Amino acid sequence: MSTDDFEQKLQRQPLRQVPTDWREEILTTAECAAATRRAPPATRPSWLSTLSHQLSTILWPHPKAWAGLAAVWLLILAVDFSARDQSPVVAEKSAPPSLEVLVELKQQQRLLAELVGSYEAPDADRRKIFSPKPRSERVEILTT
Amino acid sequence: MRGPDLRRLYDEHAQALYAFLLNLTRDEADTHDLLQDIFVKLARDPDLLNHARDERAFLIRLAHNAAIDLMRRRGTRDKTREQFTVEGGSPFAPSCDPDEQAFRTALAEALAGLPAAQRAVVHLKLWEGLTFEEIAGLLDIPSNTAASRYRYGLDKLRERLRPIYEEIK
Repeated sequence: MSTDDFEQKLQRQPLRQVPTDWREEILTTAECAAATRRAPPATRPSWLSTLSHQLSTILWPHPKAWAGLAAVWLLILAVDFSARDQSPVVAEKSAPPSLEVLVELKQQQRLLAELVGSYEAPDADRRKIFSPKPRSERVEILTT
Repeated sequence: MRGPDLRRLYDEHAQALYAFLLNLTRDEADTHDLLQDIFVKLARDPDLLNHARDERAFLIRLAHNAAIDLMRRRGTRDKTREQFTVEGGSPFAPSCDPDEQAFRTALAEALAGLPAAQRAVVHLKLWEGLTFEEIAGLLDIPSNTAASRYRYGLDKLRERLRPIYEEIK
């Protein structure tokens, strides 16, 4: 079949006629809509509805995808907040032990070290080793 | 725009818009709603056509945009519906000749199988008699794209309709 014949055959196919009863219906609806449009609006749209309209325009192609993304973010935020709530409890639990407990622990540690034989005096008990430093010749010159 | 103008526009262009919309939507109820929306828009904004050089082209462009919006809203949800409404949503007039009727039914089905973008170009070229440049301007696409969409669409139609076309030729 040649392209020209085929195209002409298609072109010759008559298109369906628009239903006659649509004319009055559509024109009446359009004229009524125009009349209501010309009437002054009773109330101005609130900023909330404007925002909602703008958002729906932006999100329109994939509203479900955006809603899913928002839900994921909310979940992440919820998990984050719940983790933060637990932190003071942890801090309370790990509060420093009392002085008596510390002294007792230190004694036990010392006793254990003596038993093992590797006890070393704590830093506070150690004598400071004196290490003479070279005298500065400049100081000598200054003093003489 | 006053009442008589709206009526004149309807009388001059409604048939073309109806056929184009029916070919795109494949649904008479949707076609009715879209056609009504177009005329409501024209009634609400009387200056809409003031800057249009070609009324018919402007209205077809409005119809095309409205139909594409509708199809996007429908999405994949109603893809099966399109298959079922091919018969009811055929853009062709019924024929008393059984061979011709069979050909028109097959053509409507073959058209329904084309992507909407190809279907729009094929319709505008074959049944509106527009040039590729006019179609390109109307659909906001390069004219080469319009021509290639037409060729691809026509090739698919030819393939699908070859048996019945050879039979009734």
